[in-house]
Amino acid sequence: MNRSFSDRMYYALIYKDRWHYITGGLEYTIIITVCALIIGLILGSLSAIVKVSYPNNKKNPGLWILNFIVNIYLTVIRGTPTVVQLMIMYFIIWQSGTSLQVAIAAFGINSGAYLAEVLRSGIQSVDRGQMEAGRSLGLSYGMTMRKIILPQAFKNVAPAIFNEFITLLKETSVAGYVGIQELTKGGDIIRSITYDAFPPLLIVALIYLVIVIGLTQILRVIEGRLAQSDLR
Amino acid sequence: MISVKGLRKTFHNARGSVEVLKGIDAEIADGEKVVIIGPSGSGKSTFLRCMNLLETPTEGRIIFDGQDITARGVSIDKVRMQMGMVFQQFNLFPHMTVEDNITMAPVMLKKQPKEEAVEKAHALLKMVGLEDKAMSFPKQLSGGQQQRVAIVRALAMDPKMMLFDEPTSALDPEMVGEVLHVMERLAEDGMTMAVVTHEMSFAKQVANRVLFVDDGQILEENTPDAFFSNPQNPRAQDFLSKILEA
Repeated sequence: MNRSFSDRMYYALIYKDRWHYITGGLEYTIIITVCALIIGLILGSLSAIVKVSYPNNKKNPGLWILNFIVNIYLTVIRGTPTVVQLMIMYFIIWQSGTSLQVAIAAFGINSGAYLAEVLRSGIQSVDRGQMEAGRSLGLSYGMTMRKIILPQAFKNVAPAIFNEFITLLKETSVAGYVGIQELTKGGDIIRSITYDAFPPLLIVALIYLVIVIGLTQILRVIEGRLAQSDLR
Repeated sequence: MISVKGLRKTFHNARGSVEVLKGIDAEIADGEKVVIIGPSGSGKSTFLRCMNLLETPTEGRIIFDGQDITARGVSIDKVRMQMGMVFQQFNLFPHMTVEDNITMAPVMLKKQPKEEAVEKAHALLKMVGLEDKAMSFPKQLSGGQQQRVAIVRALAMDPKMMLFDEPTSALDPEMVGEVLHVMERLAEDGMTMAVVTHEMSFAKQVANRVLFVDDGQILEENTPDAFFSNPQNPRAQDFLSKILEA
């Protein structure tokens, strides 16, 4: 095994078109991340709304039940490892689901729990005069939330949401546990074929790094746009 | 237009409870302008905020336009569509342009076509002298301009009545006039108004009636002329002497 670096790269990527393992894996990584983030944002928003609405309406029995469910959801998801949640989903809860469906659901549910806390602090950072102004015009609580409070809340916590996005992207590297050939697993397959760990792991790590750097740049641009209404 | 009967409001906090309103009865007729004054902490803002149920009364009834809005099963959102409110801190929506601030509620709630709502918004902005600010964001405007937009936002819903909660208290002195001017104009046009304010000149010129509130009760109720020249209640006398000294 005393070959040159370029030879090792050649066998890892070019020979027999092994780069397909990387590109195919990347595709799965991106699909899972994006879909899970969307599910996470929806679940997170709903949970956050329940958490901020409950203290003001403690007498509402429906809300009490919802708040109870959300608390269990947050505690269980944040108190157990993601890989374990993924496997429970795959082997127990949703045996009929495909690997991809299960992974999207598991990562979405997982990220929703973390986003719930982020969004809750975002909602609470919006001045309460905003809710009063919306309600005084005749908008319902839900309409005011959707049109007035949430847009401002999302803007206030955009950096934290992006952090969650980045964390999620890297966490999908465990999806191989349920048989998905995402980026990390793709690199691992190349390693097991070539018996040479360094080239595929280097490539895989670099790809994650480049995506994260790219996302960070996009965040800068988005933050600039969102600050538009703050300009004097 | 609106009548308040036996209104009580108690706030509960960690240290116990505070009764802020201790039985208020009041009536505001169609087209009447009523100014509510009183020392800070007297409950006057809470009284106003109970009228559109931003605060839920602990006891008592509020009858608006013949309907008991404190009754069970009343859609408060429908009632609020007919009762505009202007806040001390303006509370414009900072993520929307002035135009969107004004048109959002009519388009969402009254199903008004967007073009029609925009046209109306521009006409109202013109009335308050801000026709060139439709595309600005609230933070690009001065306090006085923001408050005028807030008034327009409420007017865009064609309310039957307007509530003003210390509309000039957060403004720099040189901007008070421009907001009061808009309110005077509104009064001339026959709007029914309930105004909590410290602007005595506005009360003197515009109000049909002054309510003096202290310690959660209406202690005196009179025409502005009679109230300012010859207040009956000792606490009202005390309050006025302090205000007029300053």
